[in-house]
Amino acid sequence: MSNELRAVTTLDRLIHEPARLLIITILSAAASADFLFLQRETGLTKGNLSAHLSKLEEAGYVKIEKTFKGKLPLTVCKLTAAGQKALTQYRQQLQDFMNKTA
Amino acid sequence: MKDNFSDVEQRVKRYWYVDGFGELVGGGGMCMILGIYFAAQQYFGDDSLMGSLLQISLVLVLIGGGFLVRRLISTAKARVTYPRTGYVEYSEPQNKRLMGVLAAIVGMVMAMTFVFIVRQFNTIDAMVAVSGAVMGIILFVKQIWTAKVKRFYILSIASVLYGAALSVSGLPRGYNLGLFYVLMSISFMISGGLTLKKYLDENPLQPELGNEQ
Repeated sequence: MSNELRAVTTLDRLIHEPARLLIITILSAAASADFLFLQRETGLTKGNLSAHLSKLEEAGYVKIEKTFKGKLPLTVCKLTAAGQKALTQYRQQLQDFMNKTA
Repeated sequence: MKDNFSDVEQRVKRYWYVDGFGELVGGGGMCMILGIYFAAQQYFGDDSLMGSLLQISLVLVLIGGGFLVRRLISTAKARVTYPRTGYVEYSEPQNKRLMGVLAAIVGMVMAMTFVFIVRQFNTIDAMVAVSGAVMGIILFVKQIWTAKVKRFYILSIASVLYGAALSVSGLPRGYNLGLFYVLMSISFMISGGLTLKKYLDENPLQPELGNEQ
């Protein structure tokens, strides 16, 4: 196996997990989104989504804030610069792998 | 999780249009304000004090109307949409300045074309025809580049048709323009209203869903 192909083993496993990849992809398309929107879009349960968000927050990929929109309490999630960079790098690595194996 | 990831991104971007408030309050409201404005201007005449005041207040009407509909959309979404399907905030376009310059150039070219066309035709009301065409193009471009919501095609065609039909109506120019904007307002409201009804039917308020984490 060439070194270029072996690079796929260095994929960021935190993002590589499908649910977290979906969360990060959704957040990359907006400035921020709340917990309810993410829950509906991903189809994950509250507990599951909460666990994945906690992991992403610990890694510094996602910032979570409790705020209000009018009188409505919101848990707003935002992709950080590190999260955006990690997603871009992940996509590039995956794209390279696909190009070389197609 | 069967979705293609680019579909997911596109759906997030389209989410702003999911409840129809943009058309119902934004398009419908602004067009109604403009419709009343042009009809009032025709009614009072250019020579009256009221007519003169209306003429110089067009910018204020546009800015004030824009501010008002933005507030209304924001309030409506906070009460109806966010508790049902969640809140999304969109980032400002990165090349905002470039977009502003391009919009200004396009606006100037359109205005010059508009003046040129108006001077060519005396038998038809070219102003309302051009207004219909310009709004039709704006809606079409919006659909292609940003919204990707198919109902904008219908609104785009409606705008061109209203403009073309009213250009040969023989009504005074102010009433003609007023009627054009009122018709567009009604079209926006029907489109937005139907979208809102579908949205509410598909997304009843579920107290168990919330923002607890």
